[in-house]
Order: sequence, then structure tokens, then C-alpha cells
Amino acid sequence: MSRRTGMRIASILVLIASWWVAAWFTPPEVLPGPFVIGKTMVRILLEAGPEGNSAYFHIGITLLRILVTFGAAMLAGVGLGLAMGLYKTVEYSLLSIIPLLLTMPTILMVFLAVVWFGFSEVGSMVAVVAVVTPFVTVNVAEGTKAMDKSLVDMAKSFKANKKMLLRSVYIPQLMPYLMSAFRYAFGMTWKIVALAETFGLKFGIGYMFFFWFEQFDMEQVLAWILLFVILMLIIEYGVIARFERQAFAWRKSFSMAG
Amino acid sequence: MAATVVEVKNLTKKFPAPGGGQEFVVLDSVSLDVKEGEFASLVGPSGCGKSTLLNVIAGIEKQSSGDLTVHPAAASTDGVIHVGYVFQSPRLLNWLTVEENVKFALEAQAIPREEWQGRVSKYLEMVGLAGQEPNYPLNLSGGMQQRVAITRALAIEPDILLMDEPFSHLDEITARKMRMDLMEILERAKTTILFVTHDLREAVYLSDNVYMMSTKPARIFKHVHVDLERPRKPEDPRLFDMEKDLVQEFFAVLEKQSV
Repeated sequence: MSRRTGMRIASILVLIASWWVAAWFTPPEVLPGPFVIGKTMVRILLEAGPEGNSAYFHIGITLLRILVTFGAAMLAGVGLGLAMGLYKTVEYSLLSIIPLLLTMPTILMVFLAVVWFGFSEVGSMVAVVAVVTPFVTVNVAEGTKAMDKSLVDMAKSFKANKKMLLRSVYIPQLMPYLMSAFRYAFGMTWKIVALAETFGLKFGIGYMFFFWFEQFDMEQVLAWILLFVILMLIIEYGVIARFERQAFAWRKSFSMAG
Repeated sequence: MAATVVEVKNLTKKFPAPGGGQEFVVLDSVSLDVKEGEFASLVGPSGCGKSTLLNVIAGIEKQSSGDLTVHPAAASTDGVIHVGYVFQSPRLLNWLTVEENVKFALEAQAIPREEWQGRVSKYLEMVGLAGQEPNYPLNLSGGMQQRVAITRALAIEPDILLMDEPFSHLDEITARKMRMDLMEILERAKTTILFVTHDLREAVYLSDNVYMMSTKPARIFKHVHVDLERPRKPEDPRLFDMEKDLVQEFFAVLEKQSV
């Protein structure tokens, strides 16, 4: 085991131990211990939940909401960002609006979306798009402007068509910017979706936080929160990070460097 | 008498001045012909529009006036004009392997897919990079990267190969080796070349014809035929003499300008 993995595991163990100690001094209805929560998590995953819906149903709904709103926000951001980087007119017209949206506190954005669209799928999507899209747009626009023009000239001198340019020259150069936008967008999306679910949407993981919170069942609330965090970590480090490593393999293989 | 491949006649290129003032003339009525199988060099001080001429021939930029014709070489099989370009820096796509970089040019030039593999192996072997196909450019030294760029340009079997100071970013030892190898490669590939440099010694060593350019006006003021048998040796005293004479000519022109 490398020193790095060793330290990582140790820090998690320390965290669980501190939790266990804290739970020792706290009434169980306020802070249940780690072992009880672990058992509750297993029970949630194995047994049918309240209202006849299993945990997988709620997890599925939440993932679907994240996927759809995230997709919409990314698509809008990448499109606007490319347009902004390539065309001065678009850049100048968006330049005054974007900082406005970027400065707006996230929680206020969600609040406004709720006031205008109610606690609905549309409301949460509007909130996500309003918060995430400006950030993605700025990132992609930066990337578009930072592209190496000399490579475009090279491709043109060999008469590469638009499709080849996009596939082999533009997109690979945009990848670092796309990935950082992607990570941020994903993180923001799941936080907003969880918020919307907790305070208004029917079904989903956030809905379960609130359901159990109303029943003063801290065991269930904490178990659901932990499940949610673990799920997002798996997506973040298992899926996104793996994809990133593959996409940037050409950068890190300095095995034969001269 | 070999056929003419590139015909440039009274070509002028102007750029608008940044402040909106008088236009900036980078090429002022330039004419030159490159014959099939010839190695022609364009020599001049920095900023005299040498690279712009190559860009116009490659179709990256458009001339303001004058004529440019590129004829397919007699050896051409498909009748399509292929222009190969080797730039000052390698300009490789770092996210593609050596092989994929060469194939990028082949695909862009619509070379039939069944010829790709054969051409990749043949020209990588020719430049001394056999076996480097699966490597990424960032794993290669600067000299090797430039060899990949040369392979990319040779693999499309160009009617005219444009080279823009291809060795100026390399250390002198590597550059010297590359020049010698280039001579050998051309012996085998029989390519027509228009080579841009500011290094007179490099120009006389490599070329059959040297065209000398001045800055203001941006014109070719002299054409010299280098009548030395090949293979040439870089240490050949006749090359030194020729370089010396040409340097004097440049100074004469510069002095006239400064008055």
C-alpha cells in the first residue's frame, strides 16, 4: 500500500472514530453513532421503504433529475461558450449579463426559481440552468479563445474539413476547460437538486431526508445523507475521474521522454 | 527541361495597418518559378514576408493581387494538387500518436484509406523514425517531433513541399544532422521544395536556387543558382565563399535602404 492510500484510509478511520466518540456523549436522537447508521443504511438498501417505494426508486429519480438538468445546463453552456469565444458580437452582448448571474448567491437563485415556477421539475431545472450555465459558458469561452491558432492553420494547410477540425483540433484543445466546467456543473447540480427535493419535490433522496426529518428519525436522516454523499463520490471519482484519465493519457505518458 | 510546379507572378500581399493608417506591404510584386525536382530557397531578414508567401501558396492566406499557379507534378497519380507544409515548430496534434498525426494529413488530403498504412511505414522509416508509430509527440525530443512533421508532409507525396525555417528551433548539432538527412531523404523521395530561411549557409548548402529578399520594399532582389554537385559537404569551401558573397550583397542592399 502506498503512503498516500495509507494516509487516506487513516484519515477516514479518524473521522469515524471522532464521530463515534461524539455520539457517545450525545443523545442518540440527535447524533446516532456510526455503527447504527451503517446498519440503517444496509436496511434502507435491502428493505422496502415507506409509502411502498424502495431506496432504488428514490435514488433513480434523483439521478434522473441530476442527469436531465445537468445535461440541459451543460448543453446551453457549451453552445453559448463556443459562440462567445468565436464571435465578438455574442461575446459583447453576454459580457454584462454573465457576471450578474455569477454573482447571484445560489440559494437566492433557487428561492427565486421557486417563487416563479413553484416546487416543480421546471423550477429546479431553471435554478440549475441559471446557476450552472453562466459558469460553463465562461469556461468554454475562455478555452475557445485560448486555442492554438497555429494548429488550425496547420490543419487548413492540409485541407482538413470542418468535421476533422472539430474532432481533432478544436475539441481536444477544449477538453481541459470542458472537464473543469463539467466537474463544477456536476457538483452544483446535485447540490441544487438535493435542495429542491428536500424542500418541495415529491420523491428522490432529498425528499427522504425531509420525510424522516419530520418524523424526528435522525438515524434515517443521517443514513440517507451518507448514502447520497457516497453515491456522488462514486460518480465523481469512479466515473468522471476515470474518463478524465483516459482523455488525457497523452499528457502523462512521459515514459520515453528524451 | 523540367516542368514548372509553382508559378508566382507579381504577387502582392498587403495587411491593413493596425491604426487604420497606411497599409503594410509584406510582399511587393514577387515573382518566382519552382521547377519539378528543384530545391529552391527564399532567404531574407526577419519580417520580409517569406512565410506569408508560403501561406499564400498553401492557401492559408489570400494574396491582394498577382497570380499564383501550382501545377501537379509529372509524377502525380491523381491529378490533385498536394501541398505539404513543414512549419517552424512541429505543430503536431499532441493528443494523437505519431501514426495518427501522419494519418490526419492523409485523411485531410483524401488519400485512399488502403494506402495509409504503407505510407506511414515508408516515410517514418525514411526519416529514421521506424517503430515510433504508437508514441505520443510529447514523448519525443524536439528534433524527433520535427521529423514527424516532415513525415506528415512527405506522406501526402506533395507536388510541392513548403518548409518554413524548419530547423531554426533546433540546436545547431541537431539542425546540422537534420539538414544532412533531409538531403538524403530528398534524394529518395524526389520532392520539389520551396524552403524559407534566414540562414544563408543553410540556403546555399541545400538549394539549387536561392532567391534573396529585402524588407522595404519586400521584393526579391537577386536570384543565384548554386551550381555544385551533390552530395555536398557542409564544410565545402566553395559554400563558404558563396555565402560570403551573398552576405555582402545583403549588406549592399541594406545600406542603400538606410540612406
